[in-house]
Amino acid sequence: MNLSDLLLGALIALVCGLDRTAILQVMISRPIVAAPLVAWILGEPMIGLQIGMMVELLWLARLPVGAAIPPDDTQVAIAGSVLAINFSRVFAVQGGELLLLCLLVAIPLGKVGQYFDRFARQYNVRLLKRAESCLEKKNIFFAEMQHLRGLLSFSLAAVGTYVVILIGGFFLIPLLWPLVHEPLLDSSRLLQLALPLVGVAVILGTINVSRALTLFCASFSMAFLLMWLV
Amino acid sequence: MALTRKTRIHVWFRLLLLQGSWNFERLQGLGFFYALLPALKKLYRRNQLVTIGREYLGYFNTHPYLAPLVAGAVLKLEEERAAQQDLQVTIDDFKEMVAAPYAAIGDALFWGGLRPLAAGIALFFAAKGILWTPLIFLLLYNLVPLVFRLSGFVYGYHRGIRSVEFIQRRCLPDWAIHTKEAAVVVLGGFSAFLVFQHLQHDEMVSWVGLLALIPMILLGLIARKGISTLMLTLLTAIVIILLSMFWTDVTGLLVL
Repeated sequence: MNLSDLLLGALIALVCGLDRTAILQVMISRPIVAAPLVAWILGEPMIGLQIGMMVELLWLARLPVGAAIPPDDTQVAIAGSVLAINFSRVFAVQGGELLLLCLLVAIPLGKVGQYFDRFARQYNVRLLKRAESCLEKKNIFFAEMQHLRGLLSFSLAAVGTYVVILIGGFFLIPLLWPLVHEPLLDSSRLLQLALPLVGVAVILGTINVSRALTLFCASFSMAFLLMWLV
Repeated sequence: MALTRKTRIHVWFRLLLLQGSWNFERLQGLGFFYALLPALKKLYRRNQLVTIGREYLGYFNTHPYLAPLVAGAVLKLEEERAAQQDLQVTIDDFKEMVAAPYAAIGDALFWGGLRPLAAGIALFFAAKGILWTPLIFLLLYNLVPLVFRLSGFVYGYHRGIRSVEFIQRRCLPDWAIHTKEAAVVVLGGFSAFLVFQHLQHDEMVSWVGLLALIPMILLGLIARKGISTLMLTLLTAIVIILLSMFWTDVTGLLVL
């Protein structure tokens, strides 16, 4: 394992994690951006692109509306890419099987991100109270600074999720790899097809459009027939 | 006293950090106070600023891309209040009046419509192995939000409480529906592309791909019942891995 890879991954996890809620929201936190970015920095951009493609649609239907917190697909994509790149070097394996195993381990661990994010938002209530008491004392500067301290709690939540997924991956992947290597050899291509399609199906099921099913079936069939004919 | 352009630009940049202290009690309240503080400091003396500041620390929540529209209008109202002009509506009432509807429109338009649409288009490039995909996604997605963030703030500041026309004139709720419909169409095409590519690679008969609609619709209906994506993903993966043990026999039937 390369420590510099893990630290670079943590840096990307921090920046992208902040973009998710706290700063900018220009969507560098989306898996299709974050995963290729970290993988490009680690010298394997195609691995990131493949992971980004599989994760991007999974939780896209879970909107960050009001107090709702979706699972942390940003850290799943980043940590999944870091794990896949490192283990492909350790096991000297090429191909999609190891990548899929890393992703299947990272996806459930992404749930941890929801809890960390919730903690950060609960902790930020204290900052609000402190800001109020600073205003009572007519200390406007410190009231203002409480807002910036919120960035720290979101940073910790992002990096914490990344670390949990990495630790989980480092324990589970070497254990699981010998067991699932053979079955994954036969199923990896179908799994790589299935993950984005599950994401599309969830979007289809939850998107609030009255004619979604009709539009989807029509465009699917039309595109499919055109590709078949051409 | 009118706020200088420099102060307004300062506020606009601070709005990019609006959700930095998002919390469960008052959501973006502290962030909105933080963003508007440079303007409030110009308009009020220290003692007044403390009283005004307490008002801003109350509950506030809207869509981050439409927050500049609210902030621009609030700045206008603050200028009028600081000049002791009669306000048609109090600032708190105005914030309360517009924040929730703007949030609903923004969520539907940007999170629910534009994001899947941009992702769907970008994923075509990803499926072709094009490494510029992240940049393509960022360009496709960010153009509209950036226009809203910039023009919303300017419009809000110039029109004050009449800035609600920004939403009405552009028929944004209708655009939200159109964007979602476009996203569904693009994702339909993308799914067909993935399935077709898979069948071609495995040299299987093409018409089988149309059957992929059945599990997708079933999964969509299950998702609508509230089953989590995580559960669906893991179940699908387990079923595929189990099936793969017999898969070579099945594919033999479907080879061209």
